[in-house]
Amino acid sequence: MKINFSYSILLSLILTACSKKESVDPEPQIYQFAVPANFPRPVFDIENAMTREGIELGRMLFYDVRLSGNNKVSCASCHDQKLAFSDGKALSNAGVSGTILHRHAPALVNLAWANNGLFWDGGATNLESQAFGPLTASDEMHQDLFELVDELNAVPEYVKQFDLAFKDQISSQNIVKALAQFQRTLVSANSRYDKFKRNEAEGNLSSMELRGLELVRQKCQSCHTGELFTDNAYHNNGIDADFSNDQSEGLFQGRFRISYNPADMGSFKTPTLRNAALTAPYMHDGRFTKLEDVIDHYSGEIKVSPTLDKTIPTNGFQFNPDEKKAIMAFLNTLTDEEFVTNRELSRP
Amino acid sequence: MKRIFIFAIAALIFTSCDNNDDSTEIQPVENAKTTITFDARVGNADFALNKDFTIGTRTYNFSKLRYWVSNVTLIDSKGAEYLIPDSYYLMEEVGDLNLSGTISDKLTYPARKRESIDVEDIPAGEYKSIKFSIGVDSKHNDNLSLQSGELSIANGMSNIAWMWHTSYIFSSVAGIVKEGTTSADFLAETGLNANYKTVSIDFAAPVNFSTAKGVVLNLDVTKIVDGIDLIKTPKVNAAQAEVMSALATNYGSKAMTFGSIAN
Repeated sequence: MKINFSYSILLSLILTACSKKESVDPEPQIYQFAVPANFPRPVFDIENAMTREGIELGRMLFYDVRLSGNNKVSCASCHDQKLAFSDGKALSNAGVSGTILHRHAPALVNLAWANNGLFWDGGATNLESQAFGPLTASDEMHQDLFELVDELNAVPEYVKQFDLAFKDQISSQNIVKALAQFQRTLVSANSRYDKFKRNEAEGNLSSMELRGLELVRQKCQSCHTGELFTDNAYHNNGIDADFSNDQSEGLFQGRFRISYNPADMGSFKTPTLRNAALTAPYMHDGRFTKLEDVIDHYSGEIKVSPTLDKTIPTNGFQFNPDEKKAIMAFLNTLTDEEFVTNRELSRP
Repeated sequence: MKRIFIFAIAALIFTSCDNNDDSTEIQPVENAKTTITFDARVGNADFALNKDFTIGTRTYNFSKLRYWVSNVTLIDSKGAEYLIPDSYYLMEEVGDLNLSGTISDKLTYPARKRESIDVEDIPAGEYKSIKFSIGVDSKHNDNLSLQSGELSIANGMSNIAWMWHTSYIFSSVAGIVKEGTTSADFLAETGLNANYKTVSIDFAAPVNFSTAKGVVLNLDVTKIVDGIDLIKTPKVNAAQAEVMSALATNYGSKAMTFGSIAN
């Protein structure tokens, strides 16, 4: 089911199959997902095909504080467009309880390609299942899913939009489907680097930026792979060496607590380098304040443990000061101003 | 409670819609209906909650027995398979369950004993065996937004906390186990795609569902806990991967057997 064209046909089949009764309702319009020329094709989920109506509904929901138990927190509270849908905090306390969370809010970038698990440890297989986590977690949005359906049913615009998008009533399943559809439109592919890659206007990289690109491709490519600048996989990147603390259901053990595979001990999901200049602080717990700190870590502060990723030298990459500057310069070319100002992704 | 009812109604709406779709295909000449019963037993005794049972050298007192039965398929004497559409059923024997704090601050799941499923529109024929799975297939297990059969995140048989793998709990059995002066409160659960187990059971004789009222399969709880030391490991879940795998294998390999045909 990797084919983009046939999925629109499939969707129309699915829709017609269930709507044999004469209906005057317009069919949801299939969203033509534009794959950037330098990007791989995403694997589309035909169970929740993207439609214009579904995406618009997801956008309404994403920015709506009704999704939280106290009607004060929306998805956007921790996923701010101007920060590439991250929050600028190491560990947020913006949830309903005000309690400091255990993990750093990830940036939401190019999620249509994120097909190897969500959350820092991959605990959810897709965006649909993932959404139930923050929606219900008591320290995050702490929403009662029954109340949420009631609250949305009290808003005629929502009743209408769910009907348009899904030809169905409001349900928690349709809520997470709409959120997922909107999140799959968060495509960042118009950085200066992209314009360089596609030989577009303004696509010039300086010699220092090009040197940085070369270094990133040589040293960082095994995890920050290809045009997505992530392999969507899980690695122990040497920020800790001791994972014996199994408190909080294995919180500090990374991917291991999901897979129970000893090789995954201390492994966390590779974040994309795209928009990295906007998404400080860094790592699953936000421990590094600045991008320079991250480069210093990989350069010579690696903590060695049995599961340390094999592509990371135990004494680090030993970047010299010029190389560090070049890498910084390149990373800044991955900032996508169009993405963080795109009105179609903003609060409706 | 109304909420659960609404979920059930929604499931019915979906099912009826799917059934309409089938009408465009070749109609079976003579459709039959039947009841498939999964009779929970403890050895030769009927399973019951809050009652002492001796299994080996231990005494068990159960407070809960729940498991998903999915993708129920009837196989006729020629080997043709009839997959019951949307067949996801929660089989259970539970007292009132407090599910507060899962998807709702206050939620009680009412006491329920459910051992049977009613099946309609079975194509005419002689059936020799049945196949079904304990748990939820990976497609639905990985995506909690898919609606099919009785699948729901509202009944306490799923994990949606972000702290854990978001998926269904395939089976859950709880109670107290005692041996001599030692005792333990146990909660033994299975889940994760690797523990989705398919069971095939031959009928004692070919069954024609236009005459047979039903089929009874036995679920022997003594086989579920066979080889599982619930005093040593009273909490079985994803963090006890080996024990959970052994538990799932018990459900899949020996707990289910043919019972009888009801004519």
